[in-house]
Amino acid sequence: MSRPNLKSVKREIADAFMEESKMLWQLLANGFVNGCLFALTAFGFALIYNTTRIFHIAHGAIYTAGAYLCYVFLVKLGWNMPLAIILALTLTALLGILTELLVYAPLERRGASLLVALLSSLGLYIALVNFIAMVFGNETKVLRPGVEATFHFGPIILTRIQFAQVITACVLLPLLLLLLRLTDWGKKIRALRDNPTLTEVMGVNTRVVRLFVFALGSALAGISAVLSALDIGMDPHIGMPALLIAAVALIIGGVGTFEGPIIGAFLLCILQSLVIWQVSARWMDAVTFGLLIFFLLFRPQGLLGQRRRLEEALT
Amino acid sequence: MNYLWHILVMINIYIILALSFNLVAGYTGLLSLCHAAFYGIGAYATTLLMMKAGWGFFPSLLAAILLTGVLSLIIAVPSLRLRGDYFVLATLGFQIIVFTILYNWVSLTRGPYGIPGIPIPKVFGVEVNTVFRYFLFSGVIAGFCSLLLWMLKTSPFGRVLKAIREDEIAAAALGKNVSGLKVTAFAIAAGFAAVPGALFAGYMRYIDPTSFTLMESVFIIAIIIIGGAGNFIGPVVGAAFMVLLPEALRFLHIPDAIAANMRQIIYGLLLIILMRYRPQGLFGEYGFE
Repeated sequence: MSRPNLKSVKREIADAFMEESKMLWQLLANGFVNGCLFALTAFGFALIYNTTRIFHIAHGAIYTAGAYLCYVFLVKLGWNMPLAIILALTLTALLGILTELLVYAPLERRGASLLVALLSSLGLYIALVNFIAMVFGNETKVLRPGVEATFHFGPIILTRIQFAQVITACVLLPLLLLLLRLTDWGKKIRALRDNPTLTEVMGVNTRVVRLFVFALGSALAGISAVLSALDIGMDPHIGMPALLIAAVALIIGGVGTFEGPIIGAFLLCILQSLVIWQVSARWMDAVTFGLLIFFLLFRPQGLLGQRRRLEEALT
Repeated sequence: MNYLWHILVMINIYIILALSFNLVAGYTGLLSLCHAAFYGIGAYATTLLMMKAGWGFFPSLLAAILLTGVLSLIIAVPSLRLRGDYFVLATLGFQIIVFTILYNWVSLTRGPYGIPGIPIPKVFGVEVNTVFRYFLFSGVIAGFCSLLLWMLKTSPFGRVLKAIREDEIAAAALGKNVSGLKVTAFAIAAGFAAVPGALFAGYMRYIDPTSFTLMESVFIIAIIIIGGAGNFIGPVVGAAFMVLLPEALRFLHIPDAIAANMRQIIYGLLLIILMRYRPQGLFGEYGFE
């Protein structure tokens, strides 16, 4: 056995270091791509939560439904991709509207508490997800077979669909934020967020605005579900983790803001990548929810929230 | 015949779970999503004390009750000042963290492999080794727990909890230590949840973390919502209904493949319908309003 000379040891260390930094870059990139996906879900959830204050657990079921609707059109019926996706998203938005019409609006009219709405939402989640599982089975389904083409950016490798995920989020999210600021509907949504009673007094039909918010939020959940399903497939239970990450992202970013959940989703996903790198994927959930509890206790207004929103949220 | 006793054992276990959860949800009006975490901590603590320390069933159970009560303070003390959804979210976080620990602390809990070969409980030297005996055993314990909870309910402590539920500010104005009482109620309920955990472990003689998931917490909430919260009859009826429903579906000859989903769909729809038309549940007196 020959003694390893100093030079080769040095090179090995350097190589290992390169590998390590390469992996870090790749993990950060994966975190960013996941952040794009979850930012879409979180933005949809925030649209609904900020305006109606309903903790919309069924958002997770609608997310799942979006992926499965796309599966029906694309795989079962064999239609082409753009048509399948557009139809799936339209139906997902419709599902959101139905949820508001059949479940939340009656509770709102009765003046039921938000906990009652939360429990109804939980019931809807359970019923919808199990309906999907009953029809399609519990096993994983894929939207497209085969291996994806990849792109190399220095040390980072992205698949084509990951690339599409990034583009979609980077186009859609700034556009939506802009529309919320500039358009009439955006103004109505922000008014509803700030003060529902006053908005109604000013002659805005808040019921229609709520329907619009549910449609838009659900479609966003559908987009992110379809994009994720194109990459890693789907099973009936993908909705719950997506919903939980969206909710945590909203709390971290700041309830009552629309930029907050986006920032929260990116932070959370990059943090999860770092946890995978330094600890293990198995402790990811513990870190995510530890962070949630930390924020709830020490900074309940989130990163961007204002103190005023907190006091309103707590009364 | 064993089939019938088995169902009754499960009903006994869920009655204690539901009645203890009722102390938090029904009397104090706090919707907690981590009751299954306490159930799990109780099951694991009893099991580990019996198997690693060689203690008997009852000493292990008493230690597990104390441990669960104390551990519940970790989440209760900080999060009870949060209200509404924020409290629900904090307890949800705790539930998921406890599950992650049970699942990943392999050197202690054996993680996903679970713990097999849990010793059979002994009462005065007699092994509770048939299903019928276990039914009697769990029935006596469930009866004893119900009695304790009944005494708690009718005590001044129980009445103050209801006062807090109805109007927290008024209770505080009358000089009641609202947050202290809430924390106490939460810890007592958590301690009681350790009892069904121990019963479950001793009955199944095998536990793994999948019995103590978020969905199990949701199941406990569904018992309270469907039966009704805030009194005694509601949780008992809810527990019996929720345990019997899958058995009833079995007799309707619904194929096993869809029976599990069917059952969940029924729970879900029942939750929606009850929240809309009867938020206090079938027999309850409190509706989270």
